[in-house]
Amino acid sequence: MYVLRRLPSLIATLLAVSILTFLMTSLLPGDPALQILGAENATPEAIAAVRAELSLDDPLPVRYLHWIGDALTGDFGRSYRTNEPVSQAIVERLPVTAEIGLLAIVIALAIAIPVGMLSAYRAGTRTDKVISSTSFGLLAVPNFMVAILLILIFAVWLGVLPATGWVNFTDNPVQNLRSALLPALSLAIAEMAVYTRLLRTDMIATLQQDFVTMARVKGVSNRRILFRHALRPSSFSLLTVAGVQVGAIIGGSVVIETLFAVPGVGRLLLEAVLVRDLLMVQGVALVIAVSYVVVNFTVDILYSYLDPRISHGRSAARV
Amino acid sequence: MRVHRRPMRGPWKRALASVGLVGLLLGSAACGGGSEDGNGDAEAGAVSEAVEAGDPVEGGSITVGLEAETNSWMPHEGTFNQPGLNVAYAIYDPLMQRSADGEVRPYLAESLEPNEDLTEWTLTLRPDVTFHDGTPLNAEALKTIFDTYLKGTGSRLAAQLAQVTSLDVVDDLTVVYKLAETNAAFPDLLVGASGWPFSPTAAAAAGPDAGANPVGTGPFTFVSWQRDSRLVVEKNANYWQEGKPYLDEIVFRPIPDEDTRLASLQSGDIDVMQSLRQSTVIRARDLEGVNNFEHLGSNSGGLTLNTSRAPFDDIRVRQALVHAVDQEALIEVLGGSGVTPPQTQFWSPDSAWYSEKVAESYPAYDLEKAQELYDDYVNDPERSDGKPVGTPLSFMFQCPPDPSLNELSQLYQALWQALGAQVELQATEQAAWIQDMLARDYDTGCTRVGADRDPYLVFDDAFTDGPLNMTAFQSPEIDEQLEILRTTTEVDARKAAVEEIGLILNENVPNAFSGGTLTVLATKEAIRNLDGWTFPDDTEGNGANASTAMWGHVWRVE
Repeated sequence: MYVLRRLPSLIATLLAVSILTFLMTSLLPGDPALQILGAENATPEAIAAVRAELSLDDPLPVRYLHWIGDALTGDFGRSYRTNEPVSQAIVERLPVTAEIGLLAIVIALAIAIPVGMLSAYRAGTRTDKVISSTSFGLLAVPNFMVAILLILIFAVWLGVLPATGWVNFTDNPVQNLRSALLPALSLAIAEMAVYTRLLRTDMIATLQQDFVTMARVKGVSNRRILFRHALRPSSFSLLTVAGVQVGAIIGGSVVIETLFAVPGVGRLLLEAVLVRDLLMVQGVALVIAVSYVVVNFTVDILYSYLDPRISHGRSAARV
Repeated sequence: MRVHRRPMRGPWKRALASVGLVGLLLGSAACGGGSEDGNGDAEAGAVSEAVEAGDPVEGGSITVGLEAETNSWMPHEGTFNQPGLNVAYAIYDPLMQRSADGEVRPYLAESLEPNEDLTEWTLTLRPDVTFHDGTPLNAEALKTIFDTYLKGTGSRLAAQLAQVTSLDVVDDLTVVYKLAETNAAFPDLLVGASGWPFSPTAAAAAGPDAGANPVGTGPFTFVSWQRDSRLVVEKNANYWQEGKPYLDEIVFRPIPDEDTRLASLQSGDIDVMQSLRQSTVIRARDLEGVNNFEHLGSNSGGLTLNTSRAPFDDIRVRQALVHAVDQEALIEVLGGSGVTPPQTQFWSPDSAWYSEKVAESYPAYDLEKAQELYDDYVNDPERSDGKPVGTPLSFMFQCPPDPSLNELSQLYQALWQALGAQVELQATEQAAWIQDMLARDYDTGCTRVGADRDPYLVFDDAFTDGPLNMTAFQSPEIDEQLEILRTTTEVDARKAAVEEIGLILNENVPNAFSGGTLTVLATKEAIRNLDGWTFPDDTEGNGANASTAMWGHVWRVE
């Protein structure tokens, strides 16, 4: 089966990711023991004691094996800084980031698909040019800038959405959506532009293929050609990039969650890095990396759904 | 304390203030320092008319936007900076607090009396005070807190409580703090986390999760906390101070970004906003319908020179470098022009320890003098760095990576290069930079100088043998004055000693300053009495000190 064939490479990737995550965080300058103790308590003896307690003086491979061994059982340890179990922090915060990220993708796709199709269908016309230049413009604007503008417009001037803050879905679903909207929109705007451009290019190519001409000849309506015949074969690049862009969304969440004061994993990671909360950084970075790998693995699987030829081991015609 | 009240303005003005947000983001305002932007009354130290608090009003809820989250609410685990102090003073009561004239007086405690040689401090509690969980606040509770937590392993208070050898129970409401040696500054420790009683029964029951479930005696009881999102407290119906608190509920929200915190105040998401950023203070003054409770904290931006390393071991080099610096230009780069006065000593003009005489002794911006001192060292055959006569000074300047600090570093570099020195800049990440300073493994760099604490504690940390002496500067004359600060509670004698130390420091300049820190609690007009808190005996408190409020005394009208 296709999924089974891909599994070994998935496991190898995850292993590499965990080693890299561990190494990079362990090699950060700044002694975590100093952070834990606070400067005024940091006598050399106290630092040595804390380092011993946290096994910070063990060789890196030994520390890695201990850490990954515990991590596999779901135990990422407790944060040095907050004394909070790392796994609990992640479980509390991942849904926030996931909700904003998903909402961003949904918003981006909901706008990009019709707009990209329109742009392809009207390729070369003024409509196409306006869409294209707008897309490029949006791509060029950094998300923190978009965020501040959105806050100004929707919160400060219009007063229709909160400027900052987060309400849990379980506490109030409507308020939850309101608090997620601006952060999601800030992330969606650049994505939307990327998706629009990609879909336009692929769809122009598809619309020139024989089966589309055939459908036209048979008198099938434009709408039906676009949505029923052309969209699916045009969506490979879109899907691939949507998967890859999950990374951009996670990266963007570090900035966006801080700006909107939203308690997601991005903000958790940032604060942990700043104070050398190693176990928290390693746990969060691993979970983020694994999510990314899994998302892209899923995208791979989806290819075979979009184009059954892939799962039969033949390369798709488009490649 | 300064209170700013803006006159009413048209909506276009408010819109312009908002556009300032975008301007800052684009870097224009950040570079320009936001100085004389038509903001007429923004001169340093401006005082406008006080806000009439009126009569207290019961009830209501407010939301407070803070600049950061706090790691833990257990006094011995948490790092309590201004945001953390705001929450702590809602849930806990400090045993001692500072009055308007800088005196440390009993707040939750009924009294604190020293013995003859200031080695034993007898603290008496008020009768019938209970923690939020019903546990009585008595001598036993204080002893358990002290022995099990404050002095326990891993306590962040270990260093400051090292001098307290034991806490002994005298009777149900009386304890004695026994010190290893005389310390006149001891009461000051009980203003901070060492003096915030928390329920020992609740702490024991919560175990490692106690930091997320604080139980104190304060005006508000803890309801819930979602880290990095919101902490909710509600009125303590059994509060020991009759008639307080006035508010029913406070929601504290950490909003780390300055722009969006300010926008949240404008949009009405929050009622109060706390900030230590000079550019935010300037913009908050321009908001309509907002009162700004400003306070010049004693923690200011500054320069640290490693006197254990050549050439900074030579006083001529240190003086030359400081004389070459135009502090006003530094302040402009940091965005504080028009609001932040130059700093000349460890204490801001708002502090009781501030001295005019010390202010006058601070090395003035004087290029000629700087050049003279610099040349004198460089051409000295006996120069401490052992280099040949005439070799220019060459050293590294470190500062954490931050846009405004990068600009600051470049300004220092330019000013010192004008003398002939070769200055290499290095952006060192905060955690690593602190480590370098503690290890005294650096030449010079930017740092924070001073704190709103007792001068003995501040100077003893900074200029004796301890790990926090990052400049490695010590002097017998300072030790002499420290001895006075340690052994007398007499205010005038202590002030004289502080002044003397200030003069010695301005002569030797192990540190220099890059502008004070104006702090603000910006509030909607409905929020009243932020700075009007009083002690139980009606003595006036120290106001909204360094952007922290005593929330049990605050009310909202409407």
